[in-house]
Amino acid sequence: MSFLNYLSELCAPFKLLVLSIGQFSLKPKLRGGEILKQCYEGAVLSAPMVLFSISIVSLMGVLEFSWHMMKVMHEDALVPAFSLVLTIRELAPVVTAMLLASRLGAAIAAEIGIMKNSEQLDQLQLLGVSVVDFLILPRWVGCLLASLSLTLLGIVVAVLVSSQLASYGLGYQAQEFYNALFVLARGQDLVGALVKAVLFGTTIPFVAAASGLACKSGSRGIGQAATQAVVKSSLWIIILDFLVNSLLWIS
Amino acid sequence: MFFQNVGQWAHFVRLCFHLLVSHGISGREFKKQLLRVGIQSIPLTCAAGFFVGAILAIQIDSQIRDFGAQSYLGGISVSTTLRNLGPVLIAFFLAGRVGAFTSAELGTMSITDQLNAIRCLGLNPIREIVIPRLLAVAVSSIVLLLMGLLMSVFGGISIASIGLKVNPLQFVHRVPEFLAVSSMVLALIKSIIFGLMIGSVSCFIGVHISGGAEEVGGGVRRTAVVLVVGIIILDFMISWMGSQFVGLSQW
Repeated sequence: MSFLNYLSELCAPFKLLVLSIGQFSLKPKLRGGEILKQCYEGAVLSAPMVLFSISIVSLMGVLEFSWHMMKVMHEDALVPAFSLVLTIRELAPVVTAMLLASRLGAAIAAEIGIMKNSEQLDQLQLLGVSVVDFLILPRWVGCLLASLSLTLLGIVVAVLVSSQLASYGLGYQAQEFYNALFVLARGQDLVGALVKAVLFGTTIPFVAAASGLACKSGSRGIGQAATQAVVKSSLWIIILDFLVNSLLWIS
Repeated sequence: MFFQNVGQWAHFVRLCFHLLVSHGISGREFKKQLLRVGIQSIPLTCAAGFFVGAILAIQIDSQIRDFGAQSYLGGISVSTTLRNLGPVLIAFFLAGRVGAFTSAELGTMSITDQLNAIRCLGLNPIREIVIPRLLAVAVSSIVLLLMGLLMSVFGGISIASIGLKVNPLQFVHRVPEFLAVSSMVLALIKSIIFGLMIGSVSCFIGVHISGGAEEVGGGVRRTAVVLVVGIIILDFMISWMGSQFVGLSQW
C-alpha cells in the first residue's frame, strides 16, 4: 500500500469525528442506557488491569531515576519528585491509553465489523436509526470517561503504591513522595495529563469505529479490522503524545 | 483459570521447541513470514521509535532544565530510553502490529478449518504453519525493537536540536558517560524476551481460537491485552533482577 494511501486511511477517523459532532449538534440524542453500559465496560472492567500496570510502571520510574540521579547529582533527594512528575505527565495517560486501545479498540472494531458483515448496519439505516447515535456516540462517551477516570485514579494509585514499595525496597520515605506532589508537581502537569486523556479517549473509539466500518467480509476481515484498530490507535497515541508534549513542555 | 492458561501456554511453547529441534522448520515459509511480518513493519516501527525518543527527550529536558543540568540531557535521555521506557513503548506498538496481526491470521485459519485440512493431508499444522510464524514473529520483533531503539536516539537528537535548542554534539557528548554496558545489555535482553513473548503468546492464542468471526475479534483483543500487561510485568522483573544481580548503584 502506498504511503499516501496509508496516510489517508490513518486520517479516516477525523471524517467520522466531524460527522459525529455535526450530527450530534443538529439532532442531539443521548441513549443513556447504552452510554452507561459502555462506561461500565470501559472504565469498571478495565480498572484492575490499568491500575496494576500503572503502579508497576511508576515503580520502574523510581528505579530508573534513582540510578540516573546518583550519577548526575550524587544524591537522590529529588528522585520521588522526578518520578512522580513523569508518572503524572507521561506514564499514567499513555499506559491507560495503550491498554484501552488494546481492550476497547479491538472490541469496538470487531463488534462494528460483525454488524456490518451481518447487514445489521443496513437494517438500522432502514429503521431510521443513525449509526452515529446508536453505536459511535455511546462508545465515545464511555471511552472518554474511562480514559479520564482511569488516568486520574492511576495517578493516585501510582503515588500510593510506588511510595509504599519504594520505602520498603529502596530506602525512600513514603512522606517524600507526598511532599513531592506539592513541591515539584504543578497544575500544568495535571492539565497536560487530562488533555492527553481526553485526546486519547476520543481517538481510540473513532479509530476503532472507522476500522470496523471499513471492515472487509468474512472472519479474515474482522481480524484485520481489530488488528488495524489496535495498530492505528497505538500510532495515534504516540503522535498525539508527542504533539501535546511539544506544545506544553517545550519553552 | 489464569494459571490454567499459563500452563497451556508453557506446554505449547515446549511442544513448539520440541518440534523445532526434532524436525526443523520450513525455510520457505519462515522467509515468507519474515517478509510479511518483519520487513513490512519497518517504516511504522521506525516512526514510532523516533517519536518515543523525542517524547522522552522533551519530558526529561523539562525536568532537568530548572536545575541547570541541561548539559546532561543527551546522556540521561538516551540511557532512560534504551534501558526502560523505549523497549516498553515500542513493544506496546509491536504487540498490535505484529502480535495481534499474527493472532488474527492464525485464528482465521483455525476457524475456517485450514489447520484441520493440513492435518487431513497427514502433516502437522504446528510444524508447518505455526512454528515458522512463531520464529518469524520472534526474530522480527527483536530486530524491530532494536531498530526502534536506534531511531529513538535519532528522535531525541532531532527534537533536542530543533525544539530544545541543544547542540547535537553537546547532546551526544554525554551519552558514553551514562550509557553503561549494562544498559545496552539490558536493552538487548528486554528486546529478546519481549520478542519471544510476542511470538509465543500471539501464536498460542491464535491457534486456540474457535467458533466464529466474533471469536477472532475476541482473540485479537485478548492477544493485545495479554501482551501489553505481560510486557509491563516482564520489564519490571528483568530490571529488578538486573539490579539485584549487578548492584543498584552500578547497573
